[in-house]
Amino acid sequence: MTDLLDSMLDLMRRLPPSKVEENVNTLTNICPDYADDLLSSVDQPLRVMVDSATGREYLACDYNRDGESYRSPWSNEYDPPLDDGTTPSPKLRKLEIAANEAFDTYRELYFEGGVSSVYLWDLDDGGFAGVVVLKKVLTSTSTASPSGSWDSIHVFEASERGRNAHYKLTSTIMLHLVTKTSSKAKGAPPAEDGNSGGTGEIVLSGSMTRQVEQDHPLADPSSHITNTGRMVEDQETKMRNLLQDVYFGKTRDVVHDLRSVDDLENARRQRDLQRELVGLMKK
Amino acid sequence: MDQQERIQAAAKFLLQAPPGEINDVLNDIREIISDDDALQAGVQSSLQEYNLEQFVTADIPGHDHQVIVSEAGRVEVAEGGEERFLDPRSKTTFAFDHLRLEASDPQPAEVDEDAEQTRSSLEASATTYLAAHFHDGVTSVFSVPSTSKKFIVQIVANKYNPTNFWSGRWRSEYRIDLESSKVEGKILVNVHYYEQGNVQLSTTHDTSFDIPPSVQSAPPKQAAEKIVALIENEEGKYQVSLNDGYHDMAEKTFKGLRRALPLTRQKLDWDRVLGYKLGAELSNSRGTLGGAQQGFKK
Repeated sequence: MTDLLDSMLDLMRRLPPSKVEENVNTLTNICPDYADDLLSSVDQPLRVMVDSATGREYLACDYNRDGESYRSPWSNEYDPPLDDGTTPSPKLRKLEIAANEAFDTYRELYFEGGVSSVYLWDLDDGGFAGVVVLKKVLTSTSTASPSGSWDSIHVFEASERGRNAHYKLTSTIMLHLVTKTSSKAKGAPPAEDGNSGGTGEIVLSGSMTRQVEQDHPLADPSSHITNTGRMVEDQETKMRNLLQDVYFGKTRDVVHDLRSVDDLENARRQRDLQRELVGLMKK
Repeated sequence: MDQQERIQAAAKFLLQAPPGEINDVLNDIREIISDDDALQAGVQSSLQEYNLEQFVTADIPGHDHQVIVSEAGRVEVAEGGEERFLDPRSKTTFAFDHLRLEASDPQPAEVDEDAEQTRSSLEASATTYLAAHFHDGVTSVFSVPSTSKKFIVQIVANKYNPTNFWSGRWRSEYRIDLESSKVEGKILVNVHYYEQGNVQLSTTHDTSFDIPPSVQSAPPKQAAEKIVALIENEEGKYQVSLNDGYHDMAEKTFKGLRRALPLTRQKLDWDRVLGYKLGAELSNSRGTLGGAQQGFKK
């Protein structure tokens, strides 16, 4: 019955990305048997939690969850506490600590705020896998200023092959932008024609996923961090630019396909006139 | 959840369907519920709500224009009677199938003669306006029953391009009150772009403006032209402001969330980020991660 999961995924690709949590929740209630499949196939916005041991914020997602508890990358502790929660092997935990520090610098330089977390786990075949998650929320400081949120989830698998390592990276970005609009010029005096100027909002939301596989040299275990770091940086930058130029640009173009600012009748008349002139000249 | 609750919950998904994708959403729900008979009965009210809200259009049998099927055109019927809608242009009422989107059983309608002159003038002006600014637009102008001074102008334009993974809808509505000389309007735009992703634009805009005294005293045709000119001005201004909003989002919000490059205008130097000390410390544990320990020389 993979058809049913396909239908659920098709549905999620059509419904507004801004409502993904609510809709996934409804679907899991409708089909409880498919809850695990659905939750592992659909990325959802990350939740910010606070590590009670260090006071630092970290991100909760499916990858640091054990039952109802989430593991902090800073203290390695579960909240609510678990005695037998899954943790990485000591060696992998060491790499995880270093990766969290490195991606914290990445976060500061690109996001100038926000929260980042890295989680690693051992794979049965001897390799390991991990996830780099980043979240930034912009809250509106005044009625006119925009608000928004960014969630990125980079899941990777690493397998060592002699002096090289092979990486498979799957990146998802979820974006939500809200701008309150007013068509009245800023600071203009109240109109005498009773024109309210208009109020409203523009909501742009989107999610996209891309995959990339690469081989990189492995000088020592810390190379895993520089390798995945460069891959995440490149992929995230590429996807950010795609979202801004291609995706948002496309939605703007579609608005102009619906309604034209210029008078279409004038354009039609001009085309007809031109055709007529060309016809005359040919005679 | 029992079957009835599952259907009710699934039916709500229909209300979120992007422009032109109601059938795709319905097909997904059919797979999920897999009980067509129960589903068909269960989704009726959601389909109706979606159609009326989204200004679905219908062909009127025997006429070559389309009408907007919305709350404004709903004909009052006796309790328990069949739901019917009005096409004010052809002065016809009709029954409407919310699943197949088909009008049927056209019947001549009686119209309020006092309101009709103004209504049809507004309709003529609105039709001219649509031809000038919309690529595929439909407008319907309704007079509010039992007054001859209130009118509702509705506009809808759809573009569906599933081959290129996008669809869009522009809806607007203006409630014209000649007694208070006020117009209340709203504009709603929805766009879906889903080529290897899911990006949606959803905008709302509420506005109001006065009808100038000179218009109030003008004959219906001139008054209608002037009112529609005010609507045209309002929509044109709004479309330009949308462009500004986009610009703000791209320049400010986007940058405020994640920069295209760090302030240094250079990508990260990951070796430096990791730090030599940290690297050295990790090197001591080398060869213990993963399965490829053999042949690891420096």
